[in-house]
Parts: sequence; structure tokens; C-alpha cells
Amino acid sequence: MSVATLRLTVPGHLRYRSVAVRFVAEACRLVSGARVFDEHTGAFEVNHPFDTAFVSAFMEIFNNVALHAYRGAGSGDIELVASVSPTALTVELRDAGVAFNIDAIPVPELDALPEGGMGIHIARTMLDEMKYLPGPPNLWRLTKRLTVATTPEVSQSA
Amino acid sequence: MSASFDVQTQHGQPTLLIRGSLDINSAPSLAERIDQLLATKPPRVVVDLSALDLIDSSGVAALVKLYKGIRAQGGQLEMKGTRDQPLAIFKLLRMDKVFGIV
Repeated sequence: MSVATLRLTVPGHLRYRSVAVRFVAEACRLVSGARVFDEHTGAFEVNHPFDTAFVSAFMEIFNNVALHAYRGAGSGDIELVASVSPTALTVELRDAGVAFNIDAIPVPELDALPEGGMGIHIARTMLDEMKYLPGPPNLWRLTKRLTVATTPEVSQSA
Repeated sequence: MSASFDVQTQHGQPTLLIRGSLDINSAPSLAERIDQLLATKPPRVVVDLSALDLIDSSGVAALVKLYKGIRAQGGQLEMKGTRDQPLAIFKLLRMDKVFGIV
């Protein structure tokens, strides 16, 4: 089974978030086979269940690195490495910012309608595996496998 | 990826249309717009998400703020057109039930 490796380095600032998200969305498409751009309107689409799950998780982790590791100052880079196989995607994020204790992050009380603290929970729930290894460099490793449940014929929509 | 917000009012009924990506970059602007909308004390607000492509936890927080603000004033909030990634996020956070998304 062949694995393709894609790499992108962006400054660790929220300004570059959309570039990183598009990179990951395209990596997802290589696994799911879904299109990312509407060929008629050019609008950016993420609607395959595999893609929605992974992109959702990645957005939260990128936010976390930019806001917390780099304290919103973009004082370093975020190195992205996407390992694409026919049935799985792993994306690693490396940063040189401030590390934290992921085990100290509480699970949000969803019934209380929280207005914050949901990012790690979203990422963890959407992925098959999520690992954070404090550094330097700090390393996030996000993995999701393409399964029957993440194919459009099985998923439901409202 | 960015978001645009537009409030259209018909027969006194405001509809908030959100397009694009509602995320950590665009959510603060929406929060300001929400404050302006809440200041008018509408009895009911419709949020049209049919053109919303992506949402993150910051975007969800902005909509939760709107929901809480409307409810605190005794009003009603209706979400419509939710699809794809935003719908998956609402379901994961169990906010589909709160927002009345079928």
C-alpha cells in the first residue's frame, strides 16, 4: 500500500489558517475521493463524511497551536506533514511554541451550552487517533481511517 | 475562506444569513453583529445557514451567544439550512437538539 507524503510550512498565525485548511482538505480528498471545489461556482466544499471529520479536527488543532502555543503572535512556524494512503490520512503538526498538558483539558459540559473549550473535544471525537507530544518541537499527530461509516452511502444528512 | 453576514428584515422578522466559513477569524465580527441585533430585542430571529460551508468551535460559540441572548429576552431562534460540516459539528456537540435542527 503506497503512502504519499505532502508537506507545507506556514507561519503559526491565524492569518495563514485558511491556507493550511485547504492543504488538509485536499489531502482528505486524496483519501475520500470527494471533490473539494464546486466545479461550477468555484466554491470551497467539504461535504464527504471523512473530509468533514478530519477538517473539523484539524481546524481546532491549528487554532490551538496559533492561539496557545504561539500566543497569537505567530512567532514561529507550523510544519505540516500529511501521510496519505488509500484508506487513511495522518497529519502531523509541529510547532516551536509553548507546550501544555493536554490531560488537564476538561471535557466540556455540553448540556450547559458552553461558549468555549470545545476544540480539543471536537478534534478527539472526530478522529480515530489523536496524539500530542510536548516538545520542543511540540507534535500533534492526527489520524483517521476511511471506513464504511465514512462513505456517503452510509452517512446521513439532514 | 471568510464569512459574510447579512441581516434581512421582512415584515419585522429579521433573518441572519451567514455565508462561507464561520471560524476563529470571522466569529468576532459576527459577535458584534449579534450584539447589534440583540439590541433591537427581536421576538424571533431566523438564522439561515444554507450558505455556511465550514464552522469551528469559535463559530459555534458565536451562535450559542445569539441563542442565549435571544432566549434571555424571551425570544425564539430558528436555524435553517444547516448542512455538511456545520451539521456534523452541531450533532457532535448535541446542539442540533438545542437549535431545533431536524
